[in-house]
Amino acid sequence: MRRALFVVLVLFVGVGFAWASGTKKRKLPPNEFGSVTINNYSQQSGMPPVVFDHWVHRQHFTCRICHVDIGFGMTAGATKVRAVDNMKGYYCGTCHNGRMNVNNKKVFEACAKEFSKEEYNRCVKCHALERDTAKEEEFYRFADNMPKERLGNGINWEKAEEEGLIKPLDQLEGVSIMKAKLKVQQDFSLKAKVEGMPDIIFSHKKHTVWNGCELCHPEIFIGIKMGTTKYSMVELFDGKYCGVCHDKVAFPQTDCQRCHTKPV
Amino acid sequence: MRTKALARMVLASCLVLSVCLSKAYCDEAWRAEFDDACAKTMDAMALSMDELKALIGKCERLQKIVEQQDETVRKVYLKRLQMCKNLYAYVLEAKSGEKPRE
Repeated sequence: MRRALFVVLVLFVGVGFAWASGTKKRKLPPNEFGSVTINNYSQQSGMPPVVFDHWVHRQHFTCRICHVDIGFGMTAGATKVRAVDNMKGYYCGTCHNGRMNVNNKKVFEACAKEFSKEEYNRCVKCHALERDTAKEEEFYRFADNMPKERLGNGINWEKAEEEGLIKPLDQLEGVSIMKAKLKVQQDFSLKAKVEGMPDIIFSHKKHTVWNGCELCHPEIFIGIKMGTTKYSMVELFDGKYCGVCHDKVAFPQTDCQRCHTKPV
Repeated sequence: MRTKALARMVLASCLVLSVCLSKAYCDEAWRAEFDDACAKTMDAMALSMDELKALIGKCERLQKIVEQQDETVRKVYLKRLQMCKNLYAYVLEAKSGEKPRE
């Protein structure tokens, strides 16, 4: 009896630890990598949460347009977008207004006060949690023509732009401020903390082309002088610093060779 | 009598029109000022300390105007304004040679 009680106790403690430390993250299939579920108000209004696919949008627009010019935050749900904001022409409604054209295709209008049964099909384009096989197929058709990448959603976006396969817009008329061309800051290297691991070469050029300056500074990287922001891989995997984008939308940090590139 | 009524109507229309136009003008004015204040984020590193201070001041003045806008506009523009103001402050801090916050 005592032995049985002991076993139950050990199991209970073990389960408790497993629950407290969080379960192992599921490796996402390529089409789901970069998907963000937004559920600030949807379910309260009787709608499924919004599932936002980064791959759909990043082929047409730079990160800066949405996260600087339109004002979307960098974490899911942080912006607290309401349907009324979209209907006024802000956030999703900046482009999803039923008037904007992308690749000669009209961008569907986001949100409505009232909707008919037929119009509900438009709602579930964003408010959908069920598996959408048509969207999956669309992703793989798109990914087939893109340069390959080992991890993430299997697309090398940087190369795709270099090869002219995607031409992300960096300015939206009436929304973006016309700015002078950015004078790119120099690349620099960061010492790897693990012996034998090549140092990191951080390319400002690669990052500013899609992000500008204010997306990273000072919100993500506070220290302006090289080496003042001290961080470890643990923090990065915890979603801080580089981990704000890498692992979630940009290529995963488990792809060591993408950053640790300095020849030894 | 008729002429008087007509004159009153014209006057009233002018008043209504001027109120509408002034509101639209004010709206346009702060947005233009916002564009002007945040247009230099791409070359913030090339700005002098005085220029950066002036831009930060401009952002602070604008913040008061944006805070009076409706909820959606306020949410969007305060976030945008904060991003560019913080960048200017960040560059200014670096240029002034102060010890970084970390």
